[in-house]
Amino acid sequence: MSASYILKRLMMIVYTLLVVSLIVFAITQILPADAAVMMLGENATDEALEALRQSMGLNAPIWMQYGQWLGHLLQGDFGHSLRTGQAIGPVMFEALGRSMLLAVLSIGLMLVIAVPLGIIAAIRRGRIADMLVSLVSYIGVSLPEFVTATIAVLVFADLMAWLPPTGYVPLTENFADGLAHLVLPVCVISIILIAHVSRMVRSELVDVLHSDYIRAARMKGLSSGTVLRRHALRNALLPTITIVALDVGYLLGGVIVVEEIFAIPGIGRQLIVAIQARDLPSIQAGVLIMAATYSIVNFAADILYAWLDKRIQYD
Amino acid sequence: MTEFLKRLLRTPQGAIGLVLVLLVLIVVIFGPSLAPHDPESLKPLARYKGMSAAYWLGTDQYGRDIFSRLLIGARATVTMAVLATVVGTLAGAVIGTTSAFLGGRADEVIMRTIDAVMSIPSLLFALLIVNLLGSSTANALVAVAIAFAPGMARITRSVALSVRKQDYVSAAIARGESASYIVMREMLPNVIAPIIVEMTIRVSFAVMLFATLSFLGLGAQPPAAEWGLMVSEARRYMHLSAGILVWPSIAIALVAIGFNLLGDGLRDALNPRT
Amino acid sequence: MLAMKRRLFLAGTAAVLTAPSLGFAQTAAPAKGGTLRVSIDQAASVIHPLLTRVNPEYLITELLYSNLTRLKVDMSVESDLAESWSANEALTEWTFKLRSGVKFHDGSPCAAEDVVATFKAILDPANASPGRNNVGPIADVSAPDATTVVFKLAAAYADFPVSVAYTTARIIPAKIATGDFKSLSTKAIGTGPFKLVSYEPDRLIVVERNPDYYDPARPYLDRIEIQVFPDTSAEGSAMIAGDVDIISTLQPTEYLRLDGSRGVDVLRVASGQFCNVNFGCDTPPFNDPRVRRALALTVDRKAMVDFVTEGFGTPGNDTPLNASYRFFKSVAQRKADIAEAKKLLAEAGHPNGFEATLIASDRPAVRTQLAVALKEMAKEAGITINVQTMPHATYLEQVWKKGSFYVGFYNMQPTPDGIFKLLYTSDAAWNETRWNNKAFDALIAEARGTTDEAKRTDLYTKAQALMNEEVPSIIPAFFDVLGAKREWVENYQVHPRASVFRLDHVSLSAKAPKRG
Repeated sequence: MSASYILKRLMMIVYTLLVVSLIVFAITQILPADAAVMMLGENATDEALEALRQSMGLNAPIWMQYGQWLGHLLQGDFGHSLRTGQAIGPVMFEALGRSMLLAVLSIGLMLVIAVPLGIIAAIRRGRIADMLVSLVSYIGVSLPEFVTATIAVLVFADLMAWLPPTGYVPLTENFADGLAHLVLPVCVISIILIAHVSRMVRSELVDVLHSDYIRAARMKGLSSGTVLRRHALRNALLPTITIVALDVGYLLGGVIVVEEIFAIPGIGRQLIVAIQARDLPSIQAGVLIMAATYSIVNFAADILYAWLDKRIQYD
Repeated sequence: MTEFLKRLLRTPQGAIGLVLVLLVLIVVIFGPSLAPHDPESLKPLARYKGMSAAYWLGTDQYGRDIFSRLLIGARATVTMAVLATVVGTLAGAVIGTTSAFLGGRADEVIMRTIDAVMSIPSLLFALLIVNLLGSSTANALVAVAIAFAPGMARITRSVALSVRKQDYVSAAIARGESASYIVMREMLPNVIAPIIVEMTIRVSFAVMLFATLSFLGLGAQPPAAEWGLMVSEARRYMHLSAGILVWPSIAIALVAIGFNLLGDGLRDALNPRT
Repeated sequence: MLAMKRRLFLAGTAAVLTAPSLGFAQTAAPAKGGTLRVSIDQAASVIHPLLTRVNPEYLITELLYSNLTRLKVDMSVESDLAESWSANEALTEWTFKLRSGVKFHDGSPCAAEDVVATFKAILDPANASPGRNNVGPIADVSAPDATTVVFKLAAAYADFPVSVAYTTARIIPAKIATGDFKSLSTKAIGTGPFKLVSYEPDRLIVVERNPDYYDPARPYLDRIEIQVFPDTSAEGSAMIAGDVDIISTLQPTEYLRLDGSRGVDVLRVASGQFCNVNFGCDTPPFNDPRVRRALALTVDRKAMVDFVTEGFGTPGNDTPLNASYRFFKSVAQRKADIAEAKKLLAEAGHPNGFEATLIASDRPAVRTQLAVALKEMAKEAGITINVQTMPHATYLEQVWKKGSFYVGFYNMQPTPDGIFKLLYTSDAAWNETRWNNKAFDALIAEARGTTDEAKRTDLYTKAQALMNEEVPSIIPAFFDVLGAKREWVENYQVHPRASVFRLDHVSLSAKAPKRG
């Protein structure tokens, strides 16, 4: 892994953010909403609106508005929310922190469950265990989050009263209570990921187990357990890193729905509220932050992959 | 063809998937004529009924027959998902194949841009587009199609890259055929098989994405019997009658499972290695 | 001149007559202390007291600020910052005497000049305060001395003491009203029973007791945490789990679910809150009253009450008044009559009915429910209605006040005049229907200057009859206001106005969980 490879990947992130910023800016420009109307509300007079548009620079040509917006972004200034008047940057990053907590816990839970499941299914290919894992994963990928979330709250919170139904308690405020509030949302997000990743692990492992070099290892007389641990798993699990990183995109989407239902004030909920209220600067900031998160995670995954897999050559 | 069908039916995924998808197809085609009740007529005295001989799956918050609504809603739900997937796939396939054919700098720029677009979660992207266009079934279709296109472009490209190295493509280039001819006539047909597999699986994503858009109030419009909309409306009434929520959820899950299984079955049938 | 003035406790006297159950008057002295958790069903995006627009926001500013007067649960007013008030004979000049020694949260005194500056800020179009058209026809406001405020009105207005209790007429410091007006978007400097501790619009708003509140007894609670629940079903679950103590706004379906839950009290009060179908009375085909009446005749109001309120409501009669309002006398109830509807349509030149698109915003959900039910009912008379829902923000931007066929949703107002002037007169704050009926306007204007109860009732009844005949909007059903609380919450009542909460009267019993 060379410095030039890392540099190239970093340039790609910059390019990604540029493209996303253009898309988002374009979309928010065409959205049927007048930022001045959104800000002053239904009782604004025409003069008040015009004055505000002037002061917000809304009458300037679009490309100039884009330039100004980008300029402020580069200085770390995301602007102010049209809805609440608060500075967007701190609000969004605080929300991102909560979503990241949710995401990291979900990925952790997913890895703990999905990888062993995939391995068992691959080793016991075609037998009952494999069938069961497949069945569970097919059902898992076939229910939208808002359905699983609803059912989860109904069963585990309302019916059994094992867990708090919704709401968010910061871990710093009350660790145990905060964690209890995270159990249901984390499980709901994990379900689809578990289904997806366990299938991937299974098919990778099946491929590896059929490869020539594993056959060769077997012929050398190594026990199947040793073959599995020393050779097969390493090669099969490596691509999982990439898959998990790509799933982060899916995760960020799922977070939107889950945060809405579980009343978690994360970035997904910020975005929904911003979209509903036509809070254009917040939409722009939120989408850009999500895209940046996705890009950085994938960059990290690539680096990790390259570091773990010395055999792969990078230019 | 029969050989292929045999291979497809030999795997459990393929067999069950095919049966489920055919079942869904039957409902889509004949559902409206099979429905025992008018799916929209209100019955103030028959609200929140459980399962009975008159209402097989019970009635909803307006006293409408859930079974009839499911039968009629299949058309909106499944057709929309399939259409959106097809449109998204076609757009993606053309972009991906073109990019693979052009190669070099152009390929690099197209793919990096596709990557950039893919960094926006598809649900979020669809949300933004529906907000831009206004919420309606047609606009949701466009949104899902656009959200799917980049991913499909990526997959098509990687398949097309291997096709491009094949002799018949080199031959066509040597013959001096136009770029569009080569992309459309020589390359696309040969990348179709893996794309169909991916497309089948994506139909199930589309069903769920539509449902989620409806949940967020941005998909089909009431009183449509679209399944996602039925579930999202039912959330308010689920404590009065669970059936309103459960039946359309099962319907969505069955369609998604069916297309997922069929996709996996197709993959195995096309590629007998594993 | 002074001798000619007559003390008018208009609403005050009515309170004694109509107050049926001021339950908490009998209970022992409320316990002090404790933390109350209240849930709201949408983000509190705005806490600027002059710019709030929705009930959860009113809940918060009510805790932090004071008005001149306050609405009691029976819709009469009581003293808040104003100790007493009086009007001249013509009801065109009102004088308010303020409490002395009241302090803002920052320690500065609250005096007459603050009140004057506040009302000037409300009336200034540049500030775009939603209350501008709701605080009465104020022509001028002045402060002869530190505890006296005099309002000169452009026309006689008997309900003026009620209108200064309006949800956005909260008193703010003069230096902010005339200076950095926007600064109250993120902080709060009021004279209310509580002080702002923290404000996260989408998650949690925390307030604590104001030790300098003018009433040494109140508030009883030390602290109130207001939590945002975007999902109503989740909100209900939180109540069942005991995570929240009060649900400020409850949906009928959740009411049915919580009813009977152990430790939960469901609360219900009849109200004048309603959903209506607005007609653009200047746009064909709705410019013909016969068409509007025909559609109104298709509505089965009893069924509508069930469909949109699950039975937690009362049938409407296409006028915005019902028994919850003072000065109400019912006019003949309209019943579904498809034959008559068809006849009217034929007379109006639509023998085969007509087709129209009814727009309903997605919040609250009852709008869509009403639209879907109306679609089916109108079918009977050959009218084809296409329902179109849209996000609330788009609706406000593109349809509200502009459209010619859409579903509206309104809180009960404190007075009949309040609701008529809000929606139906030619000079209404939100003249959605463009009905512009001069005879109606004249009746409402006359009632404004009338103090005689019977005469006022008579005028409003005539106005109602006119509306019922012309149907500028269909009002198929009124909603009860619903809420829920845990058993350990004492002295909380849901308010028919739906935007008044009076949490400073609330206390916790010994059974309440101790929260840090």
